[in-house]
Amino acid sequence: MRGLAILLGGLTLTTAAFAADDPIAVRQALMDNNGAAAALAGAVMKDELAYSPVIGKAVIEALSATAHAYGSFFPEGSNDPARTHASPKIWEDPAAFQAALDKYSADAAAARQASGKDGPADKAAFAAAVQPVLGNCKSCHEDFRLQD
Amino acid sequence: MRRLLGWLIIALLGGGVFWLLTLPRGLAPADLAALPAGDAARGEAVFWIGGCASCHAAAKAKGEERLKLGGGQVLKTDFGDFVVPNISNDPADGIGAWTTADLANAMLRGVSPDGRHYYPAFPYASYIRMQPADVADLRAFLATLPAVAGRAPDHDLRFPFGFRRGLGLWKLAFLSDAPAVDLGEQGPAVSRGQYLVEGPGHCGECHTPRNFGGALDTSLWLAGAPAAEGEGRIPNITGGAGGIGDWSAADIVYFFETGFLPDFDSVGGSMVAVQENLAMIAGEDRQAIAAYLKAVPPHDTPRP
Ligand code: HEC
Ligand code: HEC
Ligand code: HEC
Repeated sequence: MRGLAILLGGLTLTTAAFAADDPIAVRQALMDNNGAAAALAGAVMKDELAYSPVIGKAVIEALSATAHAYGSFFPEGSNDPARTHASPKIWEDPAAFQAALDKYSADAAAARQASGKDGPADKAAFAAAVQPVLGNCKSCHEDFRLQD
Repeated sequence: MRRLLGWLIIALLGGGVFWLLTLPRGLAPADLAALPAGDAARGEAVFWIGGCASCHAAAKAKGEERLKLGGGQVLKTDFGDFVVPNISNDPADGIGAWTTADLANAMLRGVSPDGRHYYPAFPYASYIRMQPADVADLRAFLATLPAVAGRAPDHDLRFPFGFRRGLGLWKLAFLSDAPAVDLGEQGPAVSRGQYLVEGPGHCGECHTPRNFGGALDTSLWLAGAPAAEGEGRIPNITGGAGGIGDWSAADIVYFFETGFLPDFDSVGGSMVAVQENLAMIAGEDRQAIAAYLKAVPPHDTPRP
């Protein structure tokens, strides 16, 4: 349940930030939302939370929504190092960043497809659908996010 | 320690003594004769926990690329730049022509087939705790991997570290196969975890601070350390303040499987390759490592 609360918190935060018209705040809120979705997936995987297709559906939809929106919040100049961990490579090599976004979107679309109208039927089906999407987190961060 | 330092000084003064003390010594003939025939399937698990690909494959290699061990990565340290050699199955440029005994001498004693000392940038100070049978299995697995042509350039080390013979003294002072921590009898999972972490997994090489001689300070085992390469610190993975005492064993296992921290951020830096190796080992072994990390003495993160 804790995971669900975080997820809903994340979703609310996203909406609030959109209103603020601040690309750094928006993209960070989108990522916090991703973090909350990954937390929910992890709670299921670690058996801290009993699986239900509704949870699977919520996780996959949240990840997929971020995948659609995320690339739109990196205008030139939104790289103030005091505020963002976005790597300068995003602007130096936009084609490579776009490729990472495309892969993330494609994996999210495949997961949505697999999840169907009601969400993946059981934990195993959920894991199979969501794990490829979650693989994008680490690989994109490795290439396009600065360490602290 | 005093006694050892005294030894070092005497050794430095007496050239002949130096020569004797620093003579590279491989395993005893009886130990070499006792090496079993290796099994490649078991050796694959040793390969992943040993993390060979993190250094000997290309930087950030993924998937099958991790099996191409052509070397060439540069490890920047205080002693200078180490260029990781080719250990692919190529008989001329790699180690395709090596015997099991050659690999055992390299990993368990830090001695090359032609009788030179290796630098401990090759983490044999941890591998020395490995079972010879695991090295034999690893040899068999490495023989199934692709040959990669080309030799890596030489190391570029600061004076006097380019002088390999001096490593004999370092080994005399610091190389030991004793356990890093004494945990008493805590059951099979913790012992298995201890073997994996302190031996092949060489986790201490990054997570433990070093003493004046560049050897791991076991009194602060796994308490976190400055990164050997570049900036930043490697985290404390004991239960002390600043460590991972608030992670459950399930959190640790899930982290090894997926790279997600309990706060659901993803792993970064040099741990990415380690985590991707840990995702390849048996589930029980990940659980054993978690059990061991829960059992090691807690230390607060030392002040830098
Ligand atoms: C296409 C690239 C990309 C993908 C895929 C991606 N991230 Fe991120 N993520 C970033 C970047 C870039 C930042 C730094 C953004 C900033 O600081 O402006 C970031 C930051 C974050 C943060 C910190 C946010 C903050 O408040 O500063 C979290 C948490 C996060 N990501 C989680 C995830 C998770 C979980 C996933 C997978 C479901 C994921 N990310 C997938 C690029 C990506
Ligand atoms: C932290 C990085 C690192 C890891 C991990 C590592 N090595 Fe190495 N290895 C090195 C370096 C650096 C050298 C060169 C040492 C020297 O020149 O003295 C080396 C040398 C060697 C050599 C000697 C090659 C030669 O041509 O003489 C062998 C064999 C070897 N490693 C095997 C392995 C195996 C097997 C593993 C995994 C169990 C492994 N290494 C893991 C860094 C690493
Ligand atoms: C090459 C150096 C290196 C080696 C070897 C290494 N680690 Fe790490 N480890 C790191 C770094 C760097 C981090 C921080 C990662 C980050 O910033 O996301 C880390 C993070 C961790 C964490 C998460 C700690 C936290 O507070 O976030 C755990 C748990 C961990 N390592 C366990 C291990 C284990 C177990 C091994 C041995 C199998 C190991 N590490 C070997 C470099 C290493």
